[in-house]
Amino acid sequence: MTMCRGSCQGAGRPDMTPVYPTAGSYPDFARLVNRDTAQVDRRVFSDEAVYQAELRQIFARAWLFLAHESQIPGPGDFIRTSMGEDDVIIVRQRDGSVKALLNSCPHRGNRVCMVDAGSKARGFICNYHGWSFGLDGGLRGTDGKVYEKDESFEKAQIGLTPVAQVASYKGLIFGTFDPEAPSLEEFLGDFTFYLDIMLDNEEGGTEFVGGAIRSEIDCNWKFPAENFVGDILHAFWTHQSGAQAILGGGVDLGKRYDELAFQASVYGHGIETNLDKVGNTRTLGYPELVDYVFDLSERARARLGEVRARAIGAVSSATVFPNMSFLPGQNTFRVWHPRGPGKIELVSWTIVNRNAPERIKDLYRKGVMMTFSPGGVFEMDDGENWEYSTRVNQGFVTRQQPLHYALGLGSEDLERNLPGIVHKGSLNDANQRLFYTRWAEFMEHDNWADLQNGATAAPARTRAAAE
Amino acid sequence: MTDILDISRPFTAYDRPADAETERAVTRFLNAEARTLDREAYQEWLDHFVDEDIHYWMPDMETRNRSDARGPYRHGDSAYFDDTLSELKVRVARFVEPSAWADNPATRHLHLISNIEVYETGDPSLLAVCSAFTNVRNRNETDQDVIHGRREDVLRRHGDDFRLARRRILIVQNVLLSKNLNTFL
Repeated sequence: MTMCRGSCQGAGRPDMTPVYPTAGSYPDFARLVNRDTAQVDRRVFSDEAVYQAELRQIFARAWLFLAHESQIPGPGDFIRTSMGEDDVIIVRQRDGSVKALLNSCPHRGNRVCMVDAGSKARGFICNYHGWSFGLDGGLRGTDGKVYEKDESFEKAQIGLTPVAQVASYKGLIFGTFDPEAPSLEEFLGDFTFYLDIMLDNEEGGTEFVGGAIRSEIDCNWKFPAENFVGDILHAFWTHQSGAQAILGGGVDLGKRYDELAFQASVYGHGIETNLDKVGNTRTLGYPELVDYVFDLSERARARLGEVRARAIGAVSSATVFPNMSFLPGQNTFRVWHPRGPGKIELVSWTIVNRNAPERIKDLYRKGVMMTFSPGGVFEMDDGENWEYSTRVNQGFVTRQQPLHYALGLGSEDLERNLPGIVHKGSLNDANQRLFYTRWAEFMEHDNWADLQNGATAAPARTRAAAE
Repeated sequence: MTDILDISRPFTAYDRPADAETERAVTRFLNAEARTLDREAYQEWLDHFVDEDIHYWMPDMETRNRSDARGPYRHGDSAYFDDTLSELKVRVARFVEPSAWADNPATRHLHLISNIEVYETGDPSLLAVCSAFTNVRNRNETDQDVIHGRREDVLRRHGDDFRLARRRILIVQNVLLSKNLNTFL
């Protein structure tokens, strides 16, 4: 497209078709993760060029968590969120479907939605020149109809750029900017087996408690994501003070650790769990919730089977690649939005079963606040660790030193009849290695055929277990 | 429960300023409380400044359109604190653990309290107190977190002194520009 040079002939009308970026290939960055030696090069946490590649290769392609269905129950209900650093509006349509739209006016680029959320909107109007858009993102009109009076103005093809694909899995709405991305269920793969521990442990599914807690941490987004994907180890040291305050003792992985505890990973998504039934729930500090989860676990056996029923409230944590995490039993649910290589915005919610008694929902809200919010006795001590793990890499020599991810080498469990790549024991770096392997796959591959058939795919023998 | 003790109802109709002597006494109480928190003397804070029936609430502040009936905050939704005494005690129990790493080495705290207004209420034992604050935390070499906000307190007369019965904390930040909240406001 060229601008006119003073003798406009009307030949260069703007083509306002949405632009979806294509992926590239960054083999040099992929090699920063060394699977053979179980090491990660610190430049993945500090390098601006790596970060820009992440926005292109990962955040512009992967399915990203957008909203819970319960946050936008009716037509015109909307929330604003991020996909990578892209600002997006998630809005319920009149026909009940959900659209996700880039929050940027196609005229001069200003945001058209300035608020966190709202209900029963009829559309979005840009504050700059009054361009107004319908719930579907289509341009409805401009202030004073000045543009409309111009014959060459093609209103019908102008709108807020839609996120290329939007889909839900059991209440969670995801989107991807990649029209070529496989379906959400293919992207999640057999990890849905583990998501159901939280999302489908009883009839009626889940909902979010209202509002959200937002905070900034000066860390690389991958430190919290890897922490939730499979680092229960840190709980003993980092969270000694919180455990002491609430439990009067240390973190307890349950009686049959060697037999029960495991990590499972599919496409870099991962869960670590100890199957101790209520270890996570117990840390919320309300005996009533522990009783509730014991009952829930009993009832869920028929629905989920023995392993997953034991995991509902167990000491466990999970991340869906790249940046959505949750804690079963503690019911905190969160997204780590990247804001440059050294900063994140953390948005966290409390997730509860829709059919749980109101009293139980409120105890979860209070329990999450007591543990996993900025003033919570556990989250309190996480931030500084991640900040300094990130910040020290300003040191030129420091960032040449590789990081050690070698706990649990050779611990893969080839016997256990569970979906995904399964490792014995929850005290293991296995899921974190697979998280970074997935990261490297996204850096390396420019196509989904390679992305979905690499080292992080679940072995065929375990897929049957997910059926 | 009288309206004034309902944490979900912001102060609106208090227009009978307390006498100067009461106002001075309340100011002394709030300044002493701030100094106690600056010293991280959290157990002392619970023992000498907080009443048994405390309700300590700090909601998350949403950015909403003016026309939105929900408003920027709502009791029952997400919050930083929504605590009774037993919950405040749990938070204090963590602070005093030697392994509370985010507080070791110690954070340098400053609670600046200003804009103090003291009003009589329908209940002679209760005062409605508004104040504004600047909270500064500095750690290690250059880590600095600043939070500004307002407080709406209900103080209960306690002999010649007072105890905090309600505190509603409304901060000006939507995204908390800090990694944690290792203090009370």
